[in-house]
Amino acid sequence: MEIQMQDQDNVAVLSLSGRLDLASGATLKEQVKRLIEKNTIQIHLNLSEVEFINSSGLGALVSVMKEVRLQKGRLTLSNLASYVQEIFEITQLSHIFEIYSTEAEALATYQTVATR
Amino acid sequence: MNELAVNVGRLLSRLQSPDSEEREEAVHGLGASVCDEAIAGLVLAMEDPDLGIREMAADYLAKIKGDTASQLLIRFLAHDDIGTRNLASEILIKIGTEAVPALLENIEHDDHDVRKFICDVLGLIGDSRAVDALMQHLWDDNVNVVCSAAEALGRIGSPRAIDSLIAVAEKLQDSVLPAIEALGKIRDPKALDCLYQYLRSDDPMVVLVSVEAVGQIGQVDSISHLTPYLSASDRATAEAAMAAIIAISRHNNDRINIDLPLDNFTDFLFDGIKNRDHAITEFTLSRLSHWFGSKVIAGLLDVLEYVEEDDLKRITGLLGEVGPSVATAILAKLPHASTQHQGRMLDILAQFADETIAPELLSYVHHDDPEIRQKIAHILGSSGFTGAIKALKALATDTNGHVRAAAYAALGWLCSEEEADFIMGGLDDKYSDVREAAVGALIIIGGPRVVAKLTTDLYHDEVERQRLAVTALGWIGEAEVVAPLLKAINHPDAGVRKSAINSLVRIGEVSDVESIRLALSDENSGVRKAAVTALLALRGIESVDDVAVLLNDCDVWVRYHTISSLGDLGRSELAEHIMPYLQDDLDIIKLAAAKALAQMGCRDAVPMLNELKGDKNRDLANVAEKALDSIGGNRT
Repeated sequence: MEIQMQDQDNVAVLSLSGRLDLASGATLKEQVKRLIEKNTIQIHLNLSEVEFINSSGLGALVSVMKEVRLQKGRLTLSNLASYVQEIFEITQLSHIFEIYSTEAEALATYQTVATR
Repeated sequence: MNELAVNVGRLLSRLQSPDSEEREEAVHGLGASVCDEAIAGLVLAMEDPDLGIREMAADYLAKIKGDTASQLLIRFLAHDDIGTRNLASEILIKIGTEAVPALLENIEHDDHDVRKFICDVLGLIGDSRAVDALMQHLWDDNVNVVCSAAEALGRIGSPRAIDSLIAVAEKLQDSVLPAIEALGKIRDPKALDCLYQYLRSDDPMVVLVSVEAVGQIGQVDSISHLTPYLSASDRATAEAAMAAIIAISRHNNDRINIDLPLDNFTDFLFDGIKNRDHAITEFTLSRLSHWFGSKVIAGLLDVLEYVEEDDLKRITGLLGEVGPSVATAILAKLPHASTQHQGRMLDILAQFADETIAPELLSYVHHDDPEIRQKIAHILGSSGFTGAIKALKALATDTNGHVRAAAYAALGWLCSEEEADFIMGGLDDKYSDVREAAVGALIIIGGPRVVAKLTTDLYHDEVERQRLAVTALGWIGEAEVVAPLLKAINHPDAGVRKSAINSLVRIGEVSDVESIRLALSDENSGVRKAAVTALLALRGIESVDDVAVLLNDCDVWVRYHTISSLGDLGRSELAEHIMPYLQDDLDIIKLAAAKALAQMGCRDAVPMLNELKGDKNRDLANVAEKALDSIGGNRT
């Protein structure tokens, strides 16, 4: 899996592509850990190019969410394919993740907070 | 004497009966009679010792309306009994505009109390025909009449009265307050210069009333006159100034753009929200994009209990945007809040739950309300706090199914493989929501132990357990599920076989497809179709020879699916498999073939497609035409 990173006004946007499984989940966790060490605790994951996700991939997302929350940060997701949405519903992960239809919608919510 | 008159006469005498039931019947009878004598009788009945009879008579008079009733009622405005005077006023107001001529006729009454009542009633009726007479009575000898006339002019709202009101306020000290109030209610900017002068009065009551009046008129330019009063030592005046600015803001579609010392008015604004003052609520919530602080957060958490759904969503969203600092404030408030308030605060807390917050919530797992217990389960799960596992296991045995489902979902987010046995127990729950939540938990946990347990469940006595197991294995999607899924292609249940094949397609990395190839001859058509899709997805063009056998399947929908799936490959070399089906007996098969050949870009199909373009089946003809357009062989 490839992870491309961009910085959008203090939000780290990670665009994932390929399969999110055991190996790539570990890569994701590592990437997020490095961001947190640099004090970047606002992270958005764009999953539009994720073609497959299994339990290890889900576990990685849950783990990443936990780490970000522990740092009082914020994690958002966007562009879930219908297949990924389905698994989020089955596992009720839609209760704990902030999910947006598009990256722009998600990033706009960070802007609102920034103007306070 | 005619019959009506005789009847009315009888009823009038019965009004004198010592028996209240008889008097009541008499009132009913008079109410049904349409004549002046009956009206007079009803007016007399307003002096009945029985309150019920008096009110009944009043209702009939209000319905009858008319000049006769009005004239008679006006006489009662001079009655010794205050209750009767008030009742007469009420009925005149209910009669409304039909009473205005009679009222105007009597406005010069000798009795100043009657004049005052008439002014009051005219104001409440609100008919502009009364304006001239009321303006004259701004110069009445009696100050109470003057004040009532001023008030009435304010209610009617005619700008014609402005100059008179200004003049009487200047001349008569006692009339100043009602005159200023009336100028505010008329809402005409012409009065503003006068009101700005009254803002500078030494009398705090005059200042207060003037502030309110300026606010009611609603001009943006007035704000600069009001802002100094935001820091008035008299709190009532300061809050009146804020309320006035809010009124001006609302009047101008919230387009005022000035800095206001909102921190000094936190209590005032949040009390306004609690009291469901729409103007204050809108104003306050719209300012929260740039006004925050611990006092504001506390205020917003307080008003969560009082607001309606739309405002609740806005406030929840705003507090969510504040961030984790809200959590501390919520945790402090939670123990003392009502259940509904707790629920609303927990919805906000859910966004920030982490390992430091979760321990504070453990005591709520015993809450009386199942909705609260359900929310707590979700929050504990999402917090990542593994210390909550024991509490969640307890909630997984809750009497309420929604709570159990939430608990299993939460366990999935927190647990490791060690808890797999416990979570498998959820698959035996009587509610499907709980069973599905348990499946969801097992999917997240995954791992060899879970896979082993689910593999065993593939052969459970109950078909539903078998299907849940194959679904879960498919979504777990790890390498270790491939073998059991391949084996499940031979499962006794067709639903399980089909689900297993579909899952293998999703997982993708399947080295041995022999079981799938054999499924091409499954007895169940759904399984055969799944096998077609799977082989083409996993092996592509290599599997075409195997798949092509199903072009002659006994089931039309299997044939249809096979043609479509081959078309989706988009490979022109496969056209020879499809071409014969342009001449199939069944239109649906011809249709599938036309679409598939278009996807393949097969020019050899053009002549037959041109024939199909003229088919009597319009759907088929349309598809053939589109296919020709796509291939580029359309001739008109």
